[in-house]
Amino acid sequence: MTLTRGSLAALVTLIIGAICLMLEPSFDWVVKWPAAWTLPITQWLGDGVGTVLQVLKPGTRLIAAGLQTVLDVAGAALAGMPWPLLLGGTTALGWYLGGLRLAALGFLGLGYVLISGYWIESMATLSLVLVSVPMAALAGLAIGILAYEVPRIKNGVQAVLDIMQTIPTFAYLTPLLVLFSFGPVVGLIASAIYAAPPMARNVLLGLERVDSDIREAAIMSGGKRWQQLFLVELPAATSQVMVGVNQCIMAALSMVIIAAVIGGFGDIGWEVLLTMRKAWFGPALIAGTVIVMFAVVMDRMSFALSQPRRSHSSRVLMVIGLLTLISAAVVALAYPDPSRISLLGGISDAMNSALTDVNVSYGASLDSVKNTAMFYGLLPMKIGLDNAVLPFTWGFEWTSSHTVWYFATVIGIGALLAWRGHVTGGLVAVIVAGMLETGIAELPWPFVLVGAAAIGWVPGGWKLARLPLIWLTVILLSGLWDKSLQSLYLSGAAILACGLLGGLLGLWGALSVNAWRVLQPICDMLQTIPLFVFLIPVIMFFQIGDFSAFLAICMYAIAPMIRYTRHGLTTTPDEMIEAAVSSGANTRQILTEVRIPYAVPSILLGLNQTILYAFAMLVIAALVGTTELGQLIYQSLTKNDVGLGLASGGAMLILALVADRLVQGFAEERRKALGL
Amino acid sequence: MSEAKSAAPAIAVEGLWQVFGSNARAVLNEVRVAGGMRETASKLIDKGLIPAVREASFEVASGELFVIMGLSGSGKSTLIRCISRLIDPTSGAVRIDGEDILTAKDARMIELRRHKLGMVFQHFGLFPHMTVSDNVGFPLKMQGAGKAERRKRALEVINLVGLEGREDAYPRELSGGQRQRVGIARSLAVNPDIWFLDEPFSALDPLIRRQLQDEFLNIQATLKKSIVFITHDIAEALKLADRIAIMRDGEIVQIGTPTQIVLNPVDDYVREFARDIPKGRHMTLGEVMEPMGEAALAGDWPELRTGMSLEDALTRCAASFEAVPVHDGDGKVVGMVRPENFVKALGGETS
Ligand SMILES: Nc1ncnc2c1ncn2[C@@H]1O[C@H](COP(=O)(O)OP(=O)(O)OP(=O)(O)O)[C@@H](O)[C@H]1O
Ligand SMILES: [Mg+2]
Repeated sequence: MTLTRGSLAALVTLIIGAICLMLEPSFDWVVKWPAAWTLPITQWLGDGVGTVLQVLKPGTRLIAAGLQTVLDVAGAALAGMPWPLLLGGTTALGWYLGGLRLAALGFLGLGYVLISGYWIESMATLSLVLVSVPMAALAGLAIGILAYEVPRIKNGVQAVLDIMQTIPTFAYLTPLLVLFSFGPVVGLIASAIYAAPPMARNVLLGLERVDSDIREAAIMSGGKRWQQLFLVELPAATSQVMVGVNQCIMAALSMVIIAAVIGGFGDIGWEVLLTMRKAWFGPALIAGTVIVMFAVVMDRMSFALSQPRRSHSSRVLMVIGLLTLISAAVVALAYPDPSRISLLGGISDAMNSALTDVNVSYGASLDSVKNTAMFYGLLPMKIGLDNAVLPFTWGFEWTSSHTVWYFATVIGIGALLAWRGHVTGGLVAVIVAGMLETGIAELPWPFVLVGAAAIGWVPGGWKLARLPLIWLTVILLSGLWDKSLQSLYLSGAAILACGLLGGLLGLWGALSVNAWRVLQPICDMLQTIPLFVFLIPVIMFFQIGDFSAFLAICMYAIAPMIRYTRHGLTTTPDEMIEAAVSSGANTRQILTEVRIPYAVPSILLGLNQTILYAFAMLVIAALVGTTELGQLIYQSLTKNDVGLGLASGGAMLILALVADRLVQGFAEERRKALGL
Repeated sequence: MSEAKSAAPAIAVEGLWQVFGSNARAVLNEVRVAGGMRETASKLIDKGLIPAVREASFEVASGELFVIMGLSGSGKSTLIRCISRLIDPTSGAVRIDGEDILTAKDARMIELRRHKLGMVFQHFGLFPHMTVSDNVGFPLKMQGAGKAERRKRALEVINLVGLEGREDAYPRELSGGQRQRVGIARSLAVNPDIWFLDEPFSALDPLIRRQLQDEFLNIQATLKKSIVFITHDIAEALKLADRIAIMRDGEIVQIGTPTQIVLNPVDDYVREFARDIPKGRHMTLGEVMEPMGEAALAGDWPELRTGMSLEDALTRCAASFEAVPVHDGDGKVVGMVRPENFVKALGGETS
């Protein structure tokens, strides 16, 4: 019997795993990478980068002072102007961009901000966004054009952009803190850096997609290069560039909110954090909703920029303008202080006590949900059945005879599968069962290295096998292995849950139009809300800890899985469906034999996005008390430890990128196999 | 019983309408004018609907090769999709071996497709994630046939279409002509009685097309299926068909044997199709000969048969004439020509 690539890889992994299991009792180093074998990478990074930062510091402090002035002016202008101006202005902008629907959205959204009582804090956030978006958009535009004009650097630029978007958000903040010292400017710059890549990417994409006819027409008209670019090619790419602006704004907002953890600017993100820490969930929810409102208004309006626009009556625009001016004048004279308009104060208190009631009366059932998930799902994944099965959790103690029986059963099942012709399936089943017995956080490092390399080898050969091997070794040497495995466990659990549930929901959305009508707005919403806000509901009901982090990650990371699964399943070419129908396939057979196999590349891409989303959220989830890399990054922020921040940020980046490349490898291989 | 079965035509289509657009069925019933198909169609168009097939009626006898021909967009694919019920016709009836399939339950349709109907698609419709033999065995898998049985039958039909040795290749590794052979093999896997082919050779270049046409005729000569074959190529239609239906704008304008189409086109549209066709190749002696009457023919005649094409017959007759001298401008003899040279030069066969 010849082994397929997959079964060969699985076999090697299994053998290494088995050897590790046998060595484990006598050789500690198989599981625990000895401290003596590590390199002081953290310290080197801290010293090296620290020195560079010190050199740059005088210059950057100057820049900081300049930006601070700009920020102060913007903040003062926004907070000082009568609120009807902004409310009316947003409504008018909504009308101009998208007619009644967006005008109403703008009015209601800002109206909510006003009555929430967080107007002043919101203006602080808005001023950060207003200053950082132009910076990011211009930088992105310049980078995009540069990469387009100089083909030699294009690949390099794209790789850097990829990495910049994958670097954990908090990891940006530590070095910036050294450079710009505590204060809102750090948030401003972090958000500008974070928001530039999507802009650059879309500019490049838009320019590359310009029809060659259009481009050649510009050349034949005798324009200079810059004329061709700015008068013809960029305008022709407008719609894609506007998609970039939309993503840029959303990234900037998200980062501004996250940067609030530094504190000191009295913005809305800080307000959420503060109320959350004090367990004032009423105000936290209301402030969180303010953030969501901002996000939705900004997203829908800037998205309208990228769509073909119908013009809307300018008479209405004038009426809105007039009303705005009149009410602004009245307000300026009569009620100068918008923070006093807190119509939701009562509601907030009521909500607070209601939530407390809920927590008190349903506390037991909430706890039992949490405990069930922990005892039977997360804990065994983390520390393995051998440690997680205790009298206090499962009602009995896991002994070595359990281990024997367990493995005997598992190997039996694996052998049965192999005998039925599913060799790879059988081997993988045994490997997965073994991992469950050991626990992801306690996996022997040789097994992880070989396993990752084997996964890469299947679709991509040695080239893709080398990548995880090298980079995971770097993590080993850095001494951050334990924490990395913990990150792997937490994100892995979330990704598994998202993959299964998201896949099923995507399938449901593909089968039923009505289901998709419900799912689509939910997905839209989940992808619009800044990450931070997801923490409010989970921490409200489940307090801090792994389970809350797990839920928050799942909520954020599930949307792409649903979307891509449905997309893949609904875009099967008609001719293939017809061929299946005329072959006598029934609905179920069409689904399992044609639509699902055809959707695999798309589903894998969804999984890939889900992985990246999960890692992005992992860092934020550190705020609800996790014990992995994200926590280290967050701590480095509070301790102002550049080395630790960069090293742990780097380790997380490695994990995310390795996972990304491995899944991409499979997706690519499948796409090729399908001839797409 | 077998009497009744053979009496029913393999396929009978009656007053078939396919109208695209919202609420088509109700609108069709509302505007329908008895006997006035053109009028009905123009009313439908006024209402923004698309009458892609307009009151088509025809029958295909058992074992007959029936070709539907027409320009692009004339509704051929729509018609064949109605007959195979890949789409539900708006109105009319389709009977297969006497069974009305428009009222048949889904389960019955699946049953029919699994045993009785085969279809080949214009763009092949192969499954990219399956090998050639998995593609071909797919209809059998749908019936629940086991792996070994599928493989065995797949290899049989793969050999039949001349693809032996490529059974483990993926569609992306095949040329266009080979892909269509796979499509043909797949449609034959369940040994259907009725075979639908939607422009199976249109996507192929002329040489491969001719080769596949010949092989197709060979296959049909042994299998003797009832076939609906679609093409937009008149030469292909004339070469293959027992009878041809010509479509224009969703309407069947003429049905007839190849000779009838070439000799007696009903209107300019059909005439236009037949214009470039060398008539001598498609007419047979039987169609132009006169009754014997009283005349007594004697002598050493070339052997002529009723089924011979005019071109063939002419070549043979020409061979029995003497050569004729050819003069130059001054009246000097410079060469000679045999009548059969004319025929040869004009494209006829030589014996
Ligand atoms: N699903 C559909 N919805 C609306 N109109 C359709 C649909 N399918 C086909 N049509 C229209 O019906 C008409 C006939 O199309 P059909 O595909 O049957 O043409 P055809 O004769 O097969 O052409 P070709 O030789 O290009 O394949 C066309 O005008 C087409 O636009
Ligand atoms: Mg067609």
